Amino acid sequence: MNRKILLALSLSGMATVALGGPIEDQIRFRQSAYSFISWNTGKIKKQVVDQPATYNKEQVIAAANAIAAVANSGLSSLYGPGTDQGTGWRPTQLKSEFFQKPEEARRLAVAFNTAANELARVAPSGDLDAIKTQFGKLSETCKGCHNNFRQRD
Amino acid sequence: MSAIRIDTVRVWDLPLRIFHWLLVLAIAAAYVTGEFGGSEWAQWHGRIGWLILGLLLFRLIWGVIGSWHARFANFLPTPARVIAYVRGEWQGVGHNPLGALSVVALLALVTAQVATGLFASDDIAFAGPLSNWIGKSASDRLTGWHEQIFYVLAGFIVLHVVAIAFYLLVRKSNLIAAMITGNKPGSGALQAWTEKPLAWRFLVAALVAATVSWWIFSSPPSLQAEAAAAPAATADW
Repeated sequence: MNRKILLALSLSGMATVALGGPIEDQIRFRQSAYSFISWNTGKIKKQVVDQPATYNKEQVIAAANAIAAVANSGLSSLYGPGTDQGTGWRPTQLKSEFFQKPEEARRLAVAFNTAANELARVAPSGDLDAIKTQFGKLSETCKGCHNNFRQRD
Repeated sequence: MSAIRIDTVRVWDLPLRIFHWLLVLAIAAAYVTGEFGGSEWAQWHGRIGWLILGLLLFRLIWGVIGSWHARFANFLPTPARVIAYVRGEWQGVGHNPLGALSVVALLALVTAQVATGLFASDDIAFAGPLSNWIGKSASDRLTGWHEQIFYVLAGFIVLHVVAIAFYLLVRKSNLIAAMITGNKPGSGALQAWTEKPLAWRFLVAALVAATVSWWIFSSPPSLQAEAAAAPAATADW
């Protein structure tokens, strides 16, 4: 009897982790994801928008690829139920509305992924204007989700 | 001896009127560029904030050296004046005490917006010129205030517009025209107003305002939250 209970508990625990992990893990991983994206968008912004004299084609390609890679890594599994409360590296800023508007959330997430993929596609061209334009569009998608589902401080 | 009836009085000088309407446009533009669009519009949001800072500084200076009705000392209300106005006993041509209070409130709120904006960041690709000066968590907090204060400011702007509409429709006093032409119809102006030329004082005020706001916005890069450095071109990892 005890072994069965133990087995059931372990399996549920493993299932929870498999689904994206306990709530705190999900929050922490997605906070890390966006933080890493922010480092890369910062590099692109500096080299393509603010100080084009510092433009380094390989680094911008790498940054764009990194952003696209994170975008395409299946972040939706880090937005499991209940993750609007809890603390990862810091308390989550996800609004509860996220779970009430799953279609909207999906639309915004797909828009982000699409923009990130396009940026990664454009980066190897070395065309600063095109990269700058697409970077602008990417930042709009960030803002789209933030405006709807990210709590203001 | 014939009595002189003053029917219209030049109350709002030209610099003041230009300031007012530029501020209206700037705040509208700041709202749009702050709320919508991507990193390009965010850059404009910053520049417009710079403009608003300059306008505010100008107004502060003008409130000291400007024309009579522009000077804060001449219209800022004391409790006594407010009470007198509510009792219907206030006489004047410029801002009545309640109007004066709303000027103070609006200027204070816009100043708070600009001040918090200097330290704010959108966590995407845009940050104010002083955003790194106080560290990330403080910058986050001020960003939150920058977002909240906007709602209070918007509320006061609505109140301002409603009050103007009230004066227009109920009191039959067209204050919009007054803020365009500078002339306020009304008899019995008590303050005869001989003005020394304003042009020199305007230049001084404009120059000081422009210089100070430029100085704030040219903060050294170390004060502004900046992208972590990319590796040197020769690094192989």
